[in-house]
Amino acid sequence: MKTKKVLVVDDSKLLHRMFEMMLRGFPLVHAFDGREALDRLAEHKDVELILLDINMPRMNGLEFLTAVKAHPEFARIPVVIITTEGTEDDTERGMQAGAAAYVKKPFRNEELLGVINRLTASPAA
Amino acid sequence: MAAPEQLPPRVGSALDELRATIDRAAELAREIEARPQTGDLSARLADVESDREELSTKLAEYEQQVGRLMNLYVATYQLHATLDPSEVQATIAEIAINLLGAERFVLLFWKNDARDSSGECEIAFAQGMEEDKTGLFPNGIYGGGDPAVDATLADGVLRIGPLDGSQALACVPLTVQGATVGALVILKLFDHKARLRAEDRDLLDLIAAHAASALFAARVYSNTDRKLKTLESLVALVRRQ
Repeated sequence: MKTKKVLVVDDSKLLHRMFEMMLRGFPLVHAFDGREALDRLAEHKDVELILLDINMPRMNGLEFLTAVKAHPEFARIPVVIITTEGTEDDTERGMQAGAAAYVKKPFRNEELLGVINRLTASPAA
Repeated sequence: MAAPEQLPPRVGSALDELRATIDRAAELAREIEARPQTGDLSARLADVESDREELSTKLAEYEQQVGRLMNLYVATYQLHATLDPSEVQATIAEIAINLLGAERFVLLFWKNDARDSSGECEIAFAQGMEEDKTGLFPNGIYGGGDPAVDATLADGVLRIGPLDGSQALACVPLTVQGATVGALVILKLFDHKARLRAEDRDLLDLIAAHAASALFAARVYSNTDRKLKTLESLVALVRRQ
């Protein structure tokens, strides 16, 4: 079975470490802001899932998401927003921008794993 | 009375068929009797379903436990992963925000032995305090006034709210070798997190035990490293002369 590559975009080193532990079966690519994430995507065209924070320096998560969804090559990649921005308006903004799922921090690990498994469980896997 | 062999052929054939059917029915009845009772099967099925539900509940509990342990491991690992004091402070803040869901909090440390003189703490790190209306934390200083914070700074005991007369949701002592050197005071959680959960207690205990020692070690290393570099510069200067 092919293992799907996941791009983690978050400015917190703690969260990167957390995802390394949680997603041991997945090869991870790391970025600490939206601009760096775009560079990583250009280098790793086989990324099949993006875990995205919103509040980040240089380029925030929504700006990055908009750029990804406007890109013909990357628009198909499902994006999970994982953020402390928890109002209904925030959620709606994220989903309208093209996110596949919206998870609020702090999250329960099993909740996030459920979302990731759902999004990566395609027949092509 | 006529003998059976004198019966017309159609009647004889019907009788043979009837006997065969009766024999088959008797055979089926014996088979059914030999099988386990339907009632037994239902009971066994109920047991299996009950076992499955129990295992499923246990699995969910274990998954939650694994998640909690993972959080604790990652938090501890990250606290001790650096000798840069600002990075340790940033990690404490990341734990408070990302793992506890704290929107507004302050990290307090006693000013140089202020416990014996002014009784003031400096605010080493603050998050969301621009909206704080308590007035207890002006100009980067906490001079006392919140009973729970004062009590935690004095006795080093972790307090989780709601606390009488206090604005704090949690007061986490920061201790090094048994001495309380400061406190993490959580004043507000994100709106989508209603309250601190039972499992958050483990994280608060971890912060109490590890945060101060990690920060203390980083500050000692930083000071020593700075002094060493100054000495090396002096030695190099003397050698040139």
